[in-house]
Amino acid sequence: MTLSAMRAWVAALGVLLSVSAAARPVSYTGGWTLLQTANRASTAGLLHYSISHNVSVGVRHEWQRGDDVTLTALQPTLLAKRWYGHNYQANVYLTGGLGTATDRSVASLGSDTASFVGVMTDWETRTLFVSYEARFLEQGKLGNHSMHAARFGWAPYTGDTGELHTWLMLEVDHRKHFDNKTTVTPLLRFFKGPALFEAGYNVTDSAPMFNFTYRF
Amino acid sequence: MKKILLILAVTLTSLPVLANDNHRVMDHHAQHEKNQGEMNHDEMNHGEMNHGEMNHGPEHSHGSHEHPTENAKEDVMTMSAPAITTTDDITAALANGGAPVVVDVLGVVCDFCAVAMNKIFGKREEVSALYVDLDKKTLSLVVNKGASLSDEDIENLAKKAGYRIAAIRRDAEALGG
Repeated sequence: MTLSAMRAWVAALGVLLSVSAAARPVSYTGGWTLLQTANRASTAGLLHYSISHNVSVGVRHEWQRGDDVTLTALQPTLLAKRWYGHNYQANVYLTGGLGTATDRSVASLGSDTASFVGVMTDWETRTLFVSYEARFLEQGKLGNHSMHAARFGWAPYTGDTGELHTWLMLEVDHRKHFDNKTTVTPLLRFFKGPALFEAGYNVTDSAPMFNFTYRF
Repeated sequence: MKKILLILAVTLTSLPVLANDNHRVMDHHAQHEKNQGEMNHDEMNHGEMNHGEMNHGPEHSHGSHEHPTENAKEDVMTMSAPAITTTDDITAALANGGAPVVVDVLGVVCDFCAVAMNKIFGKREEVSALYVDLDKKTLSLVVNKGASLSDEDIENLAKKAGYRIAAIRRDAEALGG
């Protein structure tokens, strides 16, 4: 197998078998979800409403700390495919966004229209978890960014309904516009009822990660 | 990066990925129904079944064949249809004359799944108590006395929650009888 064929195989496998770091970006019909993420690149919040079991619409606000740029966008997400198993669930989500990016730095370049597209995929059992997501962001004069992130997770025990669920995870992300393009973040995920909390530390870029999701 | 991706790929290939086990529950139900009629023991895998809780039908005799796991651990059910999960709410609702329903749900792997099912089914007036059991992968319902919730209703509600159902059991079967 050639290296390029292996790359394509790994990429395809990742797309087929992965879960979003955003932890289920579409909820049940009529459900609201609040997501907050903070990682080496940005701090972001997304509030979305699921108009059906496979479509959600939300508002996203994001601060790209390195460039000091903020992004506010309307973000629809489609659950394109879900596989239902007795012991697993797998999903493919497609997302996009349209809004405004604003340079908050002293030498501000002003604002510009921003848009993004993304794909999020996952495969999950009670004890194993694999995920991949990618986003391509265009912000005109404020720069374009791409991001890829893959995760592998393992639960040391299987918690029942309403109990505390704990996951040990490892995330590998790739951001072309960073000095350290590819980094590794070990993290812990705690999950109980409608709330999910993640805490990790990017060992390559020496940056903390905190994510929170609440479903209501 | 290449090394990391390679390690990830090797790890993934070792997983029991995307095995199509959607039919496991249904298969057992089909087998269970078969047991209630005329049994063909040659076609059955006794090693995976707990016969203590199965209805073998009036013609069935246990004396004529071996059960590898029988008497080893009677309380372990690996392939049997789970009964209703009893909580305080469910016990009270049953005591008030409610009808038990057990739904085998596909794709239920985390608490978000349970939250979704609770929200969707909990809004229905017909439902007096419910519980999502992640271990059994079931939704246990008690339907109010005099009310009804059809299989089609349950299927549609599960779909609104984002899930699919594999089987529905009611009344004595839901109670494990």
